[in-house]
Amino acid sequence: MSIFDPISRRRFLEGAGVSVGAAALHGLPRDGVDKPRPGFAPRAKSVIYLHMEGAPPTLDMFDRKPTLDRYDGKKCPDEFLEKERFAFIKGHPKLLGHQHGWIRAQNGIEMCELFPHLAQQMGDVTLIRSMYTDQFNHAPAEHLLFSGAPRPGRPSMGAWLSYGLGAESRDLPDFVVMVSGGMPSAGKALWSAGFLPSVHQGVEFRSAGEPVLYLQNPAGYDRARRRRSLDALNDLNRIHEQRAGDPETTTRIAQGELAFRMQASVPEAVDLRSEPQEVHDLYGTTPGQASLANNCLLARRLVERGVRFVHLFDSGWDIHGTGPNDDLMTQFPKQAGRLDRPLAGLITDLRRRGMLDDTLVVWGGEFGRTPMNEARNGSKFLGRDHHPHCFGLLMAGGGVKRGAVIGATDELGHGITENPIHVHDLQATILHLCGIDHEELTYKFQGRPFRLTDVFGKVRKELLA
Amino acid sequence: MTTRLALLLSLGFGALLPAQGERHWSYEPITRPAPPPAANAAWGGGAIDRFALARMRAHGLEPSAPASPAMWLRRVTLDLTGLPPTPEALAAFSQDRGAGARARVVDRLMQADAFAERWATWWLDLARYADSQGYEKDALRMTMWRYRDWVIDAFRRDLPFDQFTIEQLAGDLLPGATLEQQLATAFHRQTMNNTEGGTDDEEFRVAAVVDRVDTTMQVWMGSTLGCAQCHDHKYDPFSQKEFFQLFAFFDQTADADRNNDEPRMRAPTEANRAAAAALELQLDDARAALEGVEDQLPEASDWHLLGPVPGGDFADARDRAFAPERDGAQLDQEQEGLRWQARPGFVDGKIHNWSGANSAFYLHRTLRAAVACEVTLSLGSDDAIAAWCNGEEVLRKNVAHGAQLDQERVVVKLHPGDNDLLLKVTNGGGPGGFAFELWGPSEGGLRQALRRIERELAQSQGPLVPVLRELPVDKRRVTRVHIRGSFLDQGDEVQPATPAVWPKLPATGRRDRLGFARWLMSPENPLTARVLANRIWSELFGRGIVPTLEDFGSQGDRPSHPGLLDWLAREFVDSGWSMRHLLRTVVLSATYSQTSAQTARHRELDPNNVWFARGPAFRLTGEQLRDQALAVSGLLSDQVGGPSVMPPQPGGVWRQLYSGARWTDATGDDRYRRALYTFWRRTSPHPAMMVFDAQSREACVLRRQRTNTPLQALVLWNDPQFHEPAKALGAAAMERGRADAAVGAAWLWRRCLLREPSRAERDRLVALLAQEQQLGAAELDAWGVVASVVMCLDEFVSRR
Repeated sequence: MSIFDPISRRRFLEGAGVSVGAAALHGLPRDGVDKPRPGFAPRAKSVIYLHMEGAPPTLDMFDRKPTLDRYDGKKCPDEFLEKERFAFIKGHPKLLGHQHGWIRAQNGIEMCELFPHLAQQMGDVTLIRSMYTDQFNHAPAEHLLFSGAPRPGRPSMGAWLSYGLGAESRDLPDFVVMVSGGMPSAGKALWSAGFLPSVHQGVEFRSAGEPVLYLQNPAGYDRARRRRSLDALNDLNRIHEQRAGDPETTTRIAQGELAFRMQASVPEAVDLRSEPQEVHDLYGTTPGQASLANNCLLARRLVERGVRFVHLFDSGWDIHGTGPNDDLMTQFPKQAGRLDRPLAGLITDLRRRGMLDDTLVVWGGEFGRTPMNEARNGSKFLGRDHHPHCFGLLMAGGGVKRGAVIGATDELGHGITENPIHVHDLQATILHLCGIDHEELTYKFQGRPFRLTDVFGKVRKELLA
Repeated sequence: MTTRLALLLSLGFGALLPAQGERHWSYEPITRPAPPPAANAAWGGGAIDRFALARMRAHGLEPSAPASPAMWLRRVTLDLTGLPPTPEALAAFSQDRGAGARARVVDRLMQADAFAERWATWWLDLARYADSQGYEKDALRMTMWRYRDWVIDAFRRDLPFDQFTIEQLAGDLLPGATLEQQLATAFHRQTMNNTEGGTDDEEFRVAAVVDRVDTTMQVWMGSTLGCAQCHDHKYDPFSQKEFFQLFAFFDQTADADRNNDEPRMRAPTEANRAAAAALELQLDDARAALEGVEDQLPEASDWHLLGPVPGGDFADARDRAFAPERDGAQLDQEQEGLRWQARPGFVDGKIHNWSGANSAFYLHRTLRAAVACEVTLSLGSDDAIAAWCNGEEVLRKNVAHGAQLDQERVVVKLHPGDNDLLLKVTNGGGPGGFAFELWGPSEGGLRQALRRIERELAQSQGPLVPVLRELPVDKRRVTRVHIRGSFLDQGDEVQPATPAVWPKLPATGRRDRLGFARWLMSPENPLTARVLANRIWSELFGRGIVPTLEDFGSQGDRPSHPGLLDWLAREFVDSGWSMRHLLRTVVLSATYSQTSAQTARHRELDPNNVWFARGPAFRLTGEQLRDQALAVSGLLSDQVGGPSVMPPQPGGVWRQLYSGARWTDATGDDRYRRALYTFWRRTSPHPAMMVFDAQSREACVLRRQRTNTPLQALVLWNDPQFHEPAKALGAAAMERGRADAAVGAAWLWRRCLLREPSRAERDRLVALLAQEQQLGAAELDAWGVVASVVMCLDEFVSRR
């Protein structure tokens, strides 16, 4: 039994006027557990996407620019400012050198000293230095990155994957979202199903309290009482099923049973106390705490249990230098400390469990940050403004190269000199790794077929192993 | 047409277009097709039934038996009012043996406020109604409910649909527009507003106008022009230029993505008006009383101001004693490096503003009293305030708010001669300011009453609602094509016009929103009547005659019953665009009134009920499910309209970003209002409703999906919005089942499902009850469990 059974799936598709292309591609209807039947062999069975909301200064993380250090505090050359729209910078900005030291990573690149654990895992990671986007404000850039269009309303990446691949798990949703440090700018639209059937929307697992809304029975109901009421409900529904003859009734009975299983499977899946101390040391986790570290470990546990797409959102990365809380000297090291061990732990853990080959891990922000100091209202704190023209992004496992560096930027880290990769290309490549042709996975809405990559996007073969 | 066709053909889309000379069906004028002859005497003879029967037979199907009275009554009551009928209503209906019993039920239902609420709910999805601005900050719109209530009232009045349309699109432009007609234009102020730092207002103004074009085209014309924003439409005959010609109709309103949603209009409700009238009278009395008082007030000098005196931060500026505070005001000397300025303009009884963040402002004046007396200082401040009279501290308040009259009141003793009055007002961010009045010894109470009346009068001016307002002629924008849809890349200038494939605007008529709205509702328009009749049909049958409700273009589905669609459309227009007439006609048809039971033959020949050979059956919406649960349990509040409310929702769902706005679970009646009154914040709509396929309303919701997921089971089991009614209903059943549990179980069943349970059904409930009690459950709890089971039944959550 899948999260929605073949009958209900057929009905969704019929009701929704799904394009023949997608239905044919995946050979509907399906029986039993939905297995992906993609056009070509998938490399990744699951995706863990770590989104650093606010956009981390990847320039200071893995794109060292000696020229930038040399001209630290000097006025930015005019050629970089022509036709430029900034979110906050006014007047003629000054260049800002790197503020932290560098270490040598496992794959030989120079990496910021604040990430010693991650540096040790870079041999399994592909570093893209040449990502770019069209949007320079958080919410539109996040919409573009995760839904292919800069405004809310389209299905998100996880919803497309859930729609395209179907469920792998018997007891858990396809698409799970976890948030640490506060909601992302663009809000829940980032995991919305848009115009796809709502069954594909991301289910938010909360880091404190009930992991899934409404999971817990009301006071006075234990599991046995829920079972007894569900038995009575099923008996009565079956009588009705005979009379009304509607397959929807059958589906409703099945969905009730899945809900009952989720009441047990979800708390089990999210219970970190069962992990040995050695694993907690690896990730830096403390059970019961709401943290990025806990979410990384939860992501592994969910993928292990068949969840297709785990989307982690972590905030606090919007480091403008307007005050002590968004300063490169204090806030950035704090964020680095929250990320370094958990992300390195996740990659290590997936590798040693043999899961890295078919789990794709992606890490990044929604855009880059300027080589210039923002100095908003003359602020003495250090920070960089929003910068859509280039940023860094990491991918690991799931069929991408190991230890590779793709693309390059100019000597200030302002523009791309080699191999520009648009966020639509990233989307196309992620779908490809999951065995889906991004041009084939479409859904008809408002008179035209829509897809994640809008009318753009190219699979970037240079990323593939 | 020919050139456009040639262009499209040259682009390779020829194969998708109808052959030249043959127009797409939905652009043909609406005819009044004659229904096929009645072929079955036992079956309805009305036009709908004759059209439906012909199609059924053509597909090898025969009509199903009529629904039982209970099934029909439950169906029609839920469809027309969104609430379930009571067993008493069924008894009355069953006893009415006269001809026209069903029509009488329908008329009664349509008179109820619940009817207006249910159809307003339908419309609010299309209007993308919400109580917040959307986008990143998603600030709250606390007054939008006034538009929601306009919609409810429009359905209550059966406002003809053409008028309903014209008022919402262009009510402000109607000659002698009433307040309600202007308020209706809040329909197109449901667009989102971006207040994120660093965003370009023009970009998001344009996005709002694009949304207005898209919404209007989809809701009324069943046409999806969105893609023509960037390039000529690939499948339908619309060019990019034509998109911007439509855009031009909507491009002349004054709104421009301003943070405060300007322009806004005061829209007092009836209650506001009544309160204001009463308060005006009280005000006259209070003023007259005050005139009679003859207090000898001290003589006051002009105010002197010293400031801004900056502090390290707000607290520092507020708490540090600067020179005037330490040494007294020395008007002829520099203090803190500043000079005192005379401010004769700072008159009493008015609010005066200044700027200077995290700074203190000192104010001084002399009060010359003839005799010793007590006076009241009535003060307002932005933000914190302190006061000294003759060097003695008489007030210190740490507050952060805008300045209003009479926020603080201090009584001070004056001695004969000159008295020193010193104020310190400390501003945090934004503008600062103060207000002052001096009340004589015997007028304090009267002044106080006057202020209260004035404050209440201000509140009864009514909510300030965002509306459409046309720019003055000299401020009009020049509309240009946006190349590839980018507002930064503007091409040729365009004038307002309708696409060439549709009838033209009258040559002499106005070319503005009002002209456009009238064109939309003109008899020549082939689409609006079809599109709306189809939408209403779909609400009743769960499926449109054209299933793609929002797309009547070449990529949309073709009608399953073209003749029936045109007949309904024509009937709608000929009835004077009466929604009630159209609804009545459909729900009284035999087609609507069939049983919804499916047979093997149905499943084989028509699993999706395209040919309507059985009654429509589908799951209720989240709103209806919640309302139904409250109704059968007796908890439902029948209050109509008013500000949106906050029924229980799980903690941590509501976004706290940027604002202190909180979700506080309502207690009392507001906990049990109908779901259309639930506060709708775009970035965090009520999660239970979302589980049942509501959408965030960031754009117009043309067609809700109807899913069936495990999360829905969890909501029905565990959400207090469902669990509380189950407990209440269980308690009521317990009362009736004291002597015999089977009696209570049967009552429960009838209340929810409007029919007697079968023996097996009743026995199963009684068995569950006994089982729970054997296991030690208190009687009340056991009945609650039983009620919850009935309220989760497929038969209960569906409308069959």
